Amino acid sequence: MKDRLQEWVPRLVLAPSFLLVLLFVYGFILYTGYLSMTDSRMLPSYGFVGLENYQKLFALRHWNTALTNLAIFGILYILISSLLGLFLAILLDQKIRAEGLIRPIYLYPMALSFIVTGTAWKWFLDPGIGLENVMQQWGWENFEFNWIKDRDFAIYTVVLAAVWQSSGFVMAMFLAGLRGVDNEIIKAAQIDGASGFRIYRKIIIPMMRPVFLSAFVVLAHLAIKAYDLVIALTGGGPGRATELPATFMYSYTFTRNQMGIGASSAIIMLIMIFSIIVPYLYSELKSGEQK
Amino acid sequence: MARAVTTNRKIITSAAAWTIALIIFFPIFWTILTSFKTEAQAINDPPLFFNFDWTLENYAIVQERSDYMKFLWNSVIVAGGSTLLGILIAIPAAWSMAFVPSKRTKDILLWMLSTKMLPAVGVLYPISLIFVEFNLLDTRGGLIVVLMLINLPIIVWMLYTYFREIPGEILEAARMDGATLKEEILYVLTPMAVPGIASTVLLNFILAWNEAFWTLNLTAANAAPLTAFIASYSSPEGLFFAKLSAASTMAIAPILILGWFSQKQLVRGLTFGAVK
Repeated sequence: MKDRLQEWVPRLVLAPSFLLVLLFVYGFILYTGYLSMTDSRMLPSYGFVGLENYQKLFALRHWNTALTNLAIFGILYILISSLLGLFLAILLDQKIRAEGLIRPIYLYPMALSFIVTGTAWKWFLDPGIGLENVMQQWGWENFEFNWIKDRDFAIYTVVLAAVWQSSGFVMAMFLAGLRGVDNEIIKAAQIDGASGFRIYRKIIIPMMRPVFLSAFVVLAHLAIKAYDLVIALTGGGPGRATELPATFMYSYTFTRNQMGIGASSAIIMLIMIFSIIVPYLYSELKSGEQK
Repeated sequence: MARAVTTNRKIITSAAAWTIALIIFFPIFWTILTSFKTEAQAINDPPLFFNFDWTLENYAIVQERSDYMKFLWNSVIVAGGSTLLGILIAIPAAWSMAFVPSKRTKDILLWMLSTKMLPAVGVLYPISLIFVEFNLLDTRGGLIVVLMLINLPIIVWMLYTYFREIPGEILEAARMDGATLKEEILYVLTPMAVPGIASTVLLNFILAWNEAFWTLNLTAANAAPLTAFIASYSSPEGLFFAKLSAASTMAIAPILILGWFSQKQLVRGLTFGAVK
């Protein structure tokens, strides 16, 4: 009896966490998926309409704006944060003075909620009191920086703030990768007379491919989920120029009572994220088996 | 990389790294600085750096006008409560996976962790419907449960990685000496796991403290923590920058301090273990 108990206890104590995640995440996602195929508006309603909501969704101008914005935002955000993060990591890898002080400073933006630091960004980006004004005061009278008020450019201010938030964090990922490279290989290359730059380009960076992949997955899922950045910085405006899928889902459905369409937009976002993380997890599992 | 770097280069790279650090820190610095100005000084032309009369009046006004302490208290309760609840549920699960692993342990772990990457909007409807049904909207209890559920995968996984570092022989020795499972977990495992648990608590507290999606969408006046408070305070036309800065400074102060000590955990947690 006692032996059987010993055997069962581990499974038993794992169960609550397992079931909570299963129900809370997948159970609820299934329900959202179901709602997306019903005629729910303000309240859930169970009239089945098939894929009609998805057709309606993709015919919506606002949704297409949100998707375009996500594409612009996602590509620029991932690219710039990665490059900047790599640059910062290489910089910190040069035996910087007081590195222990610099690292937390680089990481701070990621540790703080953007809802809060967004205030400062709004201030900087505001043409009346922020950067534009300061530059004009200092003598560059033709300096213009009113992106945040400009429908066509406001999304780039979101990129700017997001890059500020994540670069230091990407730096930390890359720095860990750089430090993980075998010193012997680097020493050998140095003896062969390779310059510092060449060592990075030809030896170290190619060895860090897994780190790049992780960074991509982490940044991509952050981009698709992005919500508080937009809320804090532009509130989706001017007009709806900076709407992203997450803010679209919320604003469209709760202010317009279109639960069915909102649910379908949530499912589209889920599909996007799954298409990024499933291959990644699969490769992780496979590499785990080889070890 | 261990290699000789000339002094000149070291100075240049150090200077570059510090310049970038200053640029990165500037928005935070500016928020803190602005919080000590009057509203007129906050939008003064040209911007004032240190040459103004420092004042604490914004802090007093923010507290008086909007009962700041209430939001702060909500943040503490919600972040602390969800962390505590999560830890209690996660410790047995992490223990089980770390010390009695099965063939499926790694799959389960990766699967759980991957759910943290999914967007919150995917579960927004069911959660809000449940909240409406059970009158949980704008209650701290409801928010605690939701934030706990959101961060549970990270908690389980982080605890697991820390527990794994504890040698299993010690637990076996305790079992040989006749310790029951309860005693084993309570008196042998827990004391050794305290540093790991503390790290996990720290990370999760920060995550819960910063959480914006759920706090904005599930709370109103009663249970709103600081993130929701700041968002509601944020006026578009910049008339309240000094007060908003004061409120923001108070909201980030705990994280500025905690963040300093927990950078490793932050990176580890936010990259889902890609960086150890």
